[in-house]
Amino acid sequence: MSAYAAAVHETAPTPDDSDLARRIAAPRGDAEAETELCRRFAPRIRLYGLRHLRSAAGAADLVQDVLLVTLQKLRAGALRDSGKLASFILGTCRQMVIDGRRGAHRRERILETFSASLPELAAESGPVPDSQRLEHCLARLAERERSVLIMTFYDDRPADQVGASLGLSPGNVRVIRHRGIEKLRLCIEAQEAP
Amino acid sequence: MSEPVCIRAIPTSGLLDYWLGDDVAAEAAVEEHLMGCVHCSARLEALVRVARGIRRATRAGHFHGVLSASFVAALRGDGLRVREYHVPANGSVACTVTPDDDLVVSHLRAPLRDVQRLDLVFEDLPSGTELRMSDVPFDPAADAVVLAPDVAMLREFDTGLRRARLIAVQDGAERELGSYTFDHTRFAGPG
Repeated sequence: MSAYAAAVHETAPTPDDSDLARRIAAPRGDAEAETELCRRFAPRIRLYGLRHLRSAAGAADLVQDVLLVTLQKLRAGALRDSGKLASFILGTCRQMVIDGRRGAHRRERILETFSASLPELAAESGPVPDSQRLEHCLARLAERERSVLIMTFYDDRPADQVGASLGLSPGNVRVIRHRGIEKLRLCIEAQEAP
Repeated sequence: MSEPVCIRAIPTSGLLDYWLGDDVAAEAAVEEHLMGCVHCSARLEALVRVARGIRRATRAGHFHGVLSASFVAALRGDGLRVREYHVPANGSVACTVTPDDDLVVSHLRAPLRDVQRLDLVFEDLPSGTELRMSDVPFDPAADAVVLAPDVAMLREFDTGLRRARLIAVQDGAERELGSYTFDHTRFAGPG
């Protein structure tokens, strides 16, 4: 647990994030920095939203809401420690998911103010692998790997639920799941290579 | 601006545990890392895309494999049109697949309590070909194995017999638990 937390400081692009934050907070603002901030954080906020809301539409709304609040704070110079931008954004994600959606009226009003700064926030993340390629690779997996991946990812079931219906322990499911997804990923990448 | 490489990347197993809620204790730390790390968040995003592809293939019936009865019930509950056959050991069933079917599954009845490893052999008798599915997952407490053949393959079948056999494997020896004959009629269309 602590290893992951420590890695934030070692791996996060802290100087760049800080620089973006300072440029946005400057008296004249910086549209380019705002666009870069949105480009950088929108995919991560979307992932957070998908993980907690299990809804593409809900995740897209969360991206927009969190970035709006972040830009507001930065423009107003209200984010004191610009080096903790990622932590601020994560905290905002958590709060918004806990609190539920903000009122539609307020959201609309903020959107009118900031709409020019928010490029393609609701867009889906990258494309799903080609169907035929994925099915070809799925067919090449071991039987247990294929069954576990299908029953896991059809509706994102945890290991204990999948294991209970297949006579496998949760630990066994996690091992099979990890091995299967790695094989599948490598197979798809090999097929995609020119 | 260049993006730094992560020197303490979350392993794939950790990303999967986070995504599927299998390690609640690590969740907050993983989220801190992901929000600050373009490398690991991109890896998770790639896994999520593959997961979406698996979901799409499942809904289309474009896979072959063994599932659980409860999973099939969940698919049906989600609105998928599932054609189901229940076949006793050494029994037979008249079967088909229509354009309306999303998925076709067969519940192959067999005593599984003492089985350690289970293989499933699917024979296409008209062509003389067979597919051996080695070490399929099964619940020893259940009384059936649920086989889901690729619907696209089923649609290509001409009228004729197919057979499945469940084989228990232990210490190199094989024991047939049951043979299941499918008297398949190719869908000829309405009228």
